[in-house]
Amino acid sequence: MMRTMSISVDSDTRDLLDAITSRLQSGESAEALRAQSEDSQRELDDVLEIVQSLHASLTPLNPSPEFADGLGAELRNGSPGEAGRLRRVPARLSVAAILAVFAGCILFMLRRIFGSEAAADIQEEAVATPL
Amino acid sequence: MKNPFSRRIDYTELADRELVALAKEDKEAFGELYERYLPKIYSYIYYRTGNVHDAEDLTAKVFFRALSHIGNYVEKGLPFQAWLYRIAHNLVANWHRDQSRRKIIALDEYVAHSLSSEAPDSRTEEVEERNQLLDAIRELPDDRQQLLILKFVEQMSNAEIGAIMGRTEGAIKSLYHRTLLALRNELKSMQAGEPDRPLGADEG
Repeated sequence: MMRTMSISVDSDTRDLLDAITSRLQSGESAEALRAQSEDSQRELDDVLEIVQSLHASLTPLNPSPEFADGLGAELRNGSPGEAGRLRRVPARLSVAAILAVFAGCILFMLRRIFGSEAAADIQEEAVATPL
Repeated sequence: MKNPFSRRIDYTELADRELVALAKEDKEAFGELYERYLPKIYSYIYYRTGNVHDAEDLTAKVFFRALSHIGNYVEKGLPFQAWLYRIAHNLVANWHRDQSRRKIIALDEYVAHSLSSEAPDSRTEEVEERNQLLDAIRELPDDRQQLLILKFVEQMSNAEIGAIMGRTEGAIKSLYHRTLLALRNELKSMQAGEPDRPLGADEG
C-alpha cells in the first residue's frame, strides 16, 4: 500500500515538474507559478479537510434486524407478505388511515357516553312533563 | 428415496456468479445474495433518501425487482452488485421525482443520534459541521451524490464505481475532483451565510 502510494506520489511529482517546466518555457514567470502553487496548496488543504469529513460522516449503515429478517423471509417465500404490502403503502396514506381509525374510535366513544346521557335526559324530561 | 451421497449446498462458499445461476430456480440462493448485499443497498438508499421508512421501502422494492428479473439476468462483464445498484439508482431517481419536496430531517437525526451517546455539549460543533456537510451533499446533482456514497460508504474503487455508473475510471476521477471542489465552494458559501445556488454549475 505504502509502495503504491509512494509510486503514485512520485508519478504526480513527475507530472507536476513536467508541467512547471513547460509553463516556464512558454514564458510564465517563476513568481506567478510560485503564487499559483501556494493557491494550489491552499486548495489541497481545503479539499483534504472535506475528504476527512466525508470519511467520518458517510459510514456504512445496517437496517434493523426486524426489517432484514422480515424481508429475507418474504423473498424466500417469493411474494411480499402482509407486512410487505403495508410497507408499500405511502407514508401519508398510512398516517391518514391511522388518524381516520382513531377519529372513528373517539366518535364511537363520544356517542356511547354522550348519546346515552342525552337519551336518559330525554327520558327524564318525558317523565317529568305532564301530558 | 433420498440420495445418501447428496450433500446440502453451502451457499456462503459460492461466488456471486454461481449464486446468480442457482438463484434463477432456487430461492435459497437468492437469499444468500440478499444477505450479502442488503447492508450495501440499504446504506446507499438511506443516504440518497435521508429517512429510514423510504430506505426500507425502496430496499424491499430493489430486492423484489431483482428477484422477479433474475431469470432474465445475463452477466455481460458487469458484476451482480452493479446490476443491483442500477436498480436501486433507478428507484431512487423515481422516488426523487415523486417527492414534491425533499425530506431534510432524517439524516440530521441520524447524525445527532450517532453522536448523542457521546458527550453532547462538547460535540455540538461537530454535529453542526456534519449536518452542514450532509446538507451540502444533498444539494449535489444525483450522479455526484451517488459517487460519494459509493466511494465513502461502500469504499469502492474508481473502476468499480465506473462499472456501476457506466463511466470510465478517468471520468470518475474527474467527476470526483469536481465534486470535491463543488462541496468546498458550497461549504464556504454556507459558512459565509450566502443564499443557496445550484451546485455543479460553477466549477469544471
